[in-house]
Amino acid sequence: MNKILTVARKEWIDGFRDRRALYTLLIGSLFGPLMIGFMFSQIASQQKGAQEIKVPVVGREHAPILVNWLTQQSGVEIVDGPADPEGAVRERKVDFVLVIDKEFAGKFRDSRPAPVQVVSDVTSQSTRSKVSRLNSLLNNFSFETGSMRLMARGVSPIVVSALKVEQIEVATSQQRAAMIFNFIPMFLVLALFTAGMPIASDSTAGERERGSLEPLLIIPIPRWQLVAGKWLAASGAALTGMLLTLAVTLIVLSRLALEELGIRNQIGAAQIVLILAAVAPMALVSPALQMFVSCFAKSFKEAQSYLGLLIILPTIPSIVTIFYPLTNRPWMHPIPVLGQYAMVTEILGGKVPPPLSLIAATVVAFIATVILLSLATKLFSSEKIIFGR
Amino acid sequence: MIHAHNLQKQFGSVRAVDNVSFSAPDGAVTGLLGPNGAGKTTSLRMIYGLMRPGGGTVEIDGIDMASRSLEAQARIGVLPDISGLYPRLTAREHIRYFGNLQGINGPDLESRIGRWIEILGLHDVIDRRVAGFSHGERTKVALARALVHNPQNILLDEPTNGLDVMSTRAVRELIRHLRAEGRCVVFSSHVMQEVSALCDRIVVMGHGRVVAEGTAEELLIQTGMTSLEDAFVQLVGVPVEAA
Repeated sequence: MNKILTVARKEWIDGFRDRRALYTLLIGSLFGPLMIGFMFSQIASQQKGAQEIKVPVVGREHAPILVNWLTQQSGVEIVDGPADPEGAVRERKVDFVLVIDKEFAGKFRDSRPAPVQVVSDVTSQSTRSKVSRLNSLLNNFSFETGSMRLMARGVSPIVVSALKVEQIEVATSQQRAAMIFNFIPMFLVLALFTAGMPIASDSTAGERERGSLEPLLIIPIPRWQLVAGKWLAASGAALTGMLLTLAVTLIVLSRLALEELGIRNQIGAAQIVLILAAVAPMALVSPALQMFVSCFAKSFKEAQSYLGLLIILPTIPSIVTIFYPLTNRPWMHPIPVLGQYAMVTEILGGKVPPPLSLIAATVVAFIATVILLSLATKLFSSEKIIFGR
Repeated sequence: MIHAHNLQKQFGSVRAVDNVSFSAPDGAVTGLLGPNGAGKTTSLRMIYGLMRPGGGTVEIDGIDMASRSLEAQARIGVLPDISGLYPRLTAREHIRYFGNLQGINGPDLESRIGRWIEILGLHDVIDRRVAGFSHGERTKVALARALVHNPQNILLDEPTNGLDVMSTRAVRELIRHLRAEGRCVVFSSHVMQEVSALCDRIVVMGHGRVVAEGTAEELLIQTGMTSLEDAFVQLVGVPVEAA
């Protein structure tokens, strides 16, 4: 046990004296939370932007009644529209343009549908909510005017409403929050992978490259203890990176006005403990996997390029769920990476994953780690690995 | 005391080591002399237990390397062919790391480190990171960490290769010092002069075989030559490099 700690301490010190490793850890840990902060503030500014809209109008002289009505609505500002509305929208000079036809006045007076055009670009993500606000304003104007016309003719406006549609949203605000929080588990797992990487590769492939593996292996201690010590150091670094990411994420979330987005931030101490319990097993597996893979590399650089490919792994579930929304099922929980996503998403959605899931995930991670480490130990004893430089 | 019996090693179709046997007694320096590619490094790797012999046995102080490798390895100190250091650790940290791994801790370890600083003259560099060390300084650190546990048997693979004159002298003095302490020292070299100057016994290797064994005088008598260099050429069939 002492020997394992000696190896772990040496690799830890050696690892943290490496500037590259330190920067990798910092960048890997801070990237995610800052991304989340950026995404939230983007959404917030878009929502704000939807309530206050600036409407460029072409041909306002044809419909003073509509323009006046619009100006009276809260958060609406009317400006003069561009000469070429379609061109301007296509080139994204303006978000959208309201074009009032010159026949408007005549048709409106005759109580016939008066033509107006909304020029917009559906591919422009940021303008969509503003365009839908304008459309609903125009519908309101249409409905109000129509109702008044019916009443003037002695008909109740109610008869034109054949349906009464009510939207009932079943997702709680917590679940909606969890949808946006989906990135948090990915960034936590990503931090584990990036932070553990430098020590995992330097203590295996780097040791081979420097020629320091041979003198180390001559020391009469069981190989598995050497491997365990190296793994312990890498795992500690991975855990540090993950904790840093979690801490910065929590700080970022506490600084954001999530309530304005209709999201309640209910990450309390209990949630933090649950998240740690769900993600920590991954800190066992990822360094073990990285060490095993690095054993095949002859140099630190070669190892880094293998591990660069390996880092795609934790992003797969996130990408897949964009196209095939997976329902959260308990069978996913024990599977490394997938389980972390499923469980953290549940926790952030205000639920508690079953204790059996947490135990199963830990047991599976432990078994996978032991298998990977014993394979790495085998490789450490192979003459091809020791002398093959 | 090191015994190697009929060591064999084959890489593909190449017989790198073919029936190599020799003994290295305590209190003496045994030199493995041979040109590059003669099988010296491969033989040493089998003796210190990192390479599994294709055939034959190794005994360290009577302990079989194959069946009791950890026990046997505890009795040796090795400077391998390429002895890499950790660039971000200091010289002291290197020696301390290996000392701890050998099971030596605390004040005992610190006093041993102090002794090695004395013997190898590491005073100026001991607390510096080894990244900027000269080749000689690196070799000294590698030697100190390899010998920190005071092993009875010492294997040095071309220890003076590429060293400057001063460092070479330091290594030679160390080898003499170890012999005076009654230890069993085996070192390999392709440099004739060095072997003849230091060694009590010479094992001449060529093409993976032991071609001759004995003291310098015995080798001269055996070959009927008047200089060791001629004897060497006669034995191996290749001229040896002059130092």
